[in-house]
Amino acid sequence: MLTRIWAITQKEFIQTLRDRATLVILLTIPLVQLLLYATAIHTDVQHIPMVVADQSVSTESRTYLNTLVDSKYFDIVDTVSSRDAVMNAIDAGKASLGIVIPPDFASQLKLHQAQVLMLIDGSDSFTTNSAYSTANAISQSYAISLINQPISPVNAQVRILYNPDLKDLWFLIPGLIASLLQTQTLALTALAVVREREVGTIEALLVTPIRPFELMLGKTIPNLFIAFCNMASILIVGGLAFGVPFQGNLVLYVVLCLLFACSGLGLGLAISAASQTQAQAQQLVQLFSFTGLFLAGFLFPQYALPFVLRVISYIFPLTYFIPISRGIYTKGIGIDALWGPVIALSVLLVLIIFAASRLFHESLD
Amino acid sequence: MQKGLQRFGALVRKEITQLLRDRRSLAFMLSLPLIQLFLFSYAVNSTVYHIPTAVVDQSNDRKSREYLQAMVNSQYFDMTVQFQNQNQVIAAIDRGDVKAGIVIPPDFATDTDRGTGNVLILLDGSDSASVSSGFGAAGLIAQMYSLQLTTQEIIRKGQGAGGGSLSVGASALPITAATRVLYNPDMINVWFILPGIVGLILQNLAVQQAALIVVKDREMGTIEQILITPTRPLELVLSKMIPLLVLSMLAMGVTLLIGIVWFSVPFQGSLFLYFWMALLFVVGSLALGLLISTRAKTQRQAQQMALLPMIFGLLLGGLIYPRSSMPFVPQFIGNLFPLTYFIRISRSIFVKGVGLEFVWSDALILGIYSLVVVILAARAFKPRLD
Repeated sequence: MLTRIWAITQKEFIQTLRDRATLVILLTIPLVQLLLYATAIHTDVQHIPMVVADQSVSTESRTYLNTLVDSKYFDIVDTVSSRDAVMNAIDAGKASLGIVIPPDFASQLKLHQAQVLMLIDGSDSFTTNSAYSTANAISQSYAISLINQPISPVNAQVRILYNPDLKDLWFLIPGLIASLLQTQTLALTALAVVREREVGTIEALLVTPIRPFELMLGKTIPNLFIAFCNMASILIVGGLAFGVPFQGNLVLYVVLCLLFACSGLGLGLAISAASQTQAQAQQLVQLFSFTGLFLAGFLFPQYALPFVLRVISYIFPLTYFIPISRGIYTKGIGIDALWGPVIALSVLLVLIIFAASRLFHESLD
Repeated sequence: MQKGLQRFGALVRKEITQLLRDRRSLAFMLSLPLIQLFLFSYAVNSTVYHIPTAVVDQSNDRKSREYLQAMVNSQYFDMTVQFQNQNQVIAAIDRGDVKAGIVIPPDFATDTDRGTGNVLILLDGSDSASVSSGFGAAGLIAQMYSLQLTTQEIIRKGQGAGGGSLSVGASALPITAATRVLYNPDMINVWFILPGIVGLILQNLAVQQAALIVVKDREMGTIEQILITPTRPLELVLSKMIPLLVLSMLAMGVTLLIGIVWFSVPFQGSLFLYFWMALLFVVGSLALGLLISTRAKTQRQAQQMALLPMIFGLLLGGLIYPRSSMPFVPQFIGNLFPLTYFIRISRSIFVKGVGLEFVWSDALILGIYSLVVVILAARAFKPRLD
């Protein structure tokens, strides 16, 4: 039996290695994503383009504008004279925030009745939210600084556990490893069966003495290997090149990663066996990986989802693995605090393997 | 010319027949965008409310309860559990039971009267969305609460001194900022998301499907049969694009309809203009898929290559993460994908309701892009003929 599994494994390995282009893409996509996240994604939106209509042109108005610019959150991209011109600039997409300071700003300020108008582009969620809260907060604290009153009787001291400097990459890496493992494992095995069927090579396999179970295993092992390489490359690049510290137990982490990878590979096999064409399999994979990305808590916290979506999210292995990955990687907690998700993941894995082998059997007849 | 048209018609008919015959794939193709639409619309939210929070109230008096009430009223924090000390809170965050903790020290009330009140907010730094929402909210709530206390104080003092410089009831602050959010005054999340999603869904459908077309014929061996006909590469490429183009536009129509009817997102601009822009975008995406298809040797390879525009589009196109805060290189890479241009156009027409005079430059780029990629795809197909 082992020799037969080994034979299939070898065949799959050779096939994978021969297709250089695919292999290169398979191995580089995780790194490309990592680089993208590392360089491009800032959840804290800075340098929001701002257009200004300063009708007051006074020291007071300039000081006010300077506090906004000094915060680094806003860049003045244009100076215009009227409110309509500000609106126009936002319509044209040149700026996301417009500030109109009325002519009587300086005199009104002395009476403590100065008004400014902030116009915010409401077509881009992240920018709008950032601009809204930041511009208001800066404006307010500037106003507070003008009155000589000990203004803050209550001071909220916020401490961020595990990631005190709020580094975006620290947030992302554990989730990224999890989501990449899911996407890749699904994609790796999804075409395994359906491809042999579509191309017609399945007959050649069926006349050999190989049993379905062995075929299944033989097709999974090389992919497990690739998934493992990807996990390792992100761990190494993330840890060494970007300096994201690994807090927990590495051995435990790798073992649980493999457990999770198996669930993805199993799911991929199930999809492959259930699909009639490669195109179908591909679309199902896309559906699964996208849904997982959005529901499992990688991009958006799972508890914030509407009830129905939260229920759906429980069928994704990723939902259980994200807390595991973040728990071990960032928080440094051990298995004693992770029993819940680990058991849930294991149960799901058994179910998936069961379903995959049933579908696999059916698809071979 | 007549013959060419005839040939072209025959090819298109063949593609349509092939597409319609595979019912299950067709059903997938049409239902996938809808599933994505609902997922995105309900799941994507840049502000997180109801963060599960543990509370330690060592002060336990009127002031501390008032402050906690302000936290709860903000909708940002849900008090799910009470503890005795800070270590228990950290343990609960470690376990992942809660994402935030509020610790109020025993002398909170007296300190607040002296102007030195302190609370400690602990946030789970492994979950970025909870942190960024909770961080901003906690600071803002404390500021508002302080302001409220101070205003009361100033007013009380002012009255005690027999009418001070501040008129009672007016704001205590010298500057008030009136904030108006244009286009989406109530900051409704679906309004933000929908115009971008239309683009993402269209792109995913078009690139993916187109990526498989040529390579499928090659893998199945049917390419030879097509090659012995007098078909020209450009004809072949176009004939494969037309049925998918119709399908994609259909999917877009349904997506728009659901967005407008089910999610009641108002369509502000010209539908006519939007249609043409979408068409331009779909042509560009299909051509990109075809280009991938001519390069790929197997469907598996095509599938992997098609992932790239999807990932880049999702992350760099400006759908979720704003492009203005990206460094130069990622911004530049984002410019290589048609989605980036279409998201801008889509938002402008859909939400802002502006016309061609505001989107013409993006439209022009999109048009040139589509043209170039179609030609590239047709040319890339040529050497493969032998």
